[in-house]
Amino acid sequence: MTCPICAYKNLSYPPRDYNICPCCSTEFGNDDAVYSHRQLLGMWIAGGANWFFGRAPEHWNPWLQLIQGGLGMYVPAQFGAPYINFQLVANSANVEPAIVTNRLNAYGSLALAA
Amino acid sequence: MLKPYVCVACEKVIVAQDGVASLIALFSKIILTVPAGTEIPPNAVAPKEWAVFSIWDPEPGDERRNYFLCTQILYPDESQFGQITRSKFNIEVNKRSQMTLQVQGFPIGQTGEYTILSWVEENEKKVSDPIQFGIEVIINFAASPAGAAT
Repeated sequence: MTCPICAYKNLSYPPRDYNICPCCSTEFGNDDAVYSHRQLLGMWIAGGANWFFGRAPEHWNPWLQLIQGGLGMYVPAQFGAPYINFQLVANSANVEPAIVTNRLNAYGSLALAA
Repeated sequence: MLKPYVCVACEKVIVAQDGVASLIALFSKIILTVPAGTEIPPNAVAPKEWAVFSIWDPEPGDERRNYFLCTQILYPDESQFGQITRSKFNIEVNKRSQMTLQVQGFPIGQTGEYTILSWVEENEKKVSDPIQFGIEVIINFAASPAGAAT
């Protein structure tokens, strides 16, 4: 089961009945009765997007978790690096390097730069 | 035993109805240009979708094996990014197996050579040597435009 707030994929219990997400600490039925999911996500991110309960899973990365959960647009600029020029370069011995330049917009999606 | 035929990184894989794969924008290097003074945190991830595409040649009998393709991404300092992914091979007799690992997000917290490792496991044991290739991440700092507010 996936947390509807932070997109953590391995919830042991359904997100209801006062169960608590070990990642973002949301208590379902309590916190989400007061705040919307987006507000709770914003609060978790503003607090540093830290793992809540015990030790985080090995190699856990909150920003990757959000991106994989379709919430990449909420990754703060400095952690997701929007507004950067992103070039993919293929080096080859016998052709000129082909460069594809993409520009990430504020929400992390890609648009080809002319 | 499966033998590697192709293993590359690209921006997108399109598989036609007949199973023929087209690879879009093979790459071996990523250049980021960020405003001067930007500090990129070590756990930063660019919301960039990309793929590791591989093709494997089976031997007779492989179609009865329970092989998994494992893929690991290492930072330049050899620490691991994300989890090791495990995808089950679908093997047919006398047919090459194509595997596409779609990756959402590219780590950009370190500059230098990232390593992509792929190997075959059966019953959670490695049964092949890893194939590995590198993707270099370079970060350029762009000068602020003259007169721009800071």
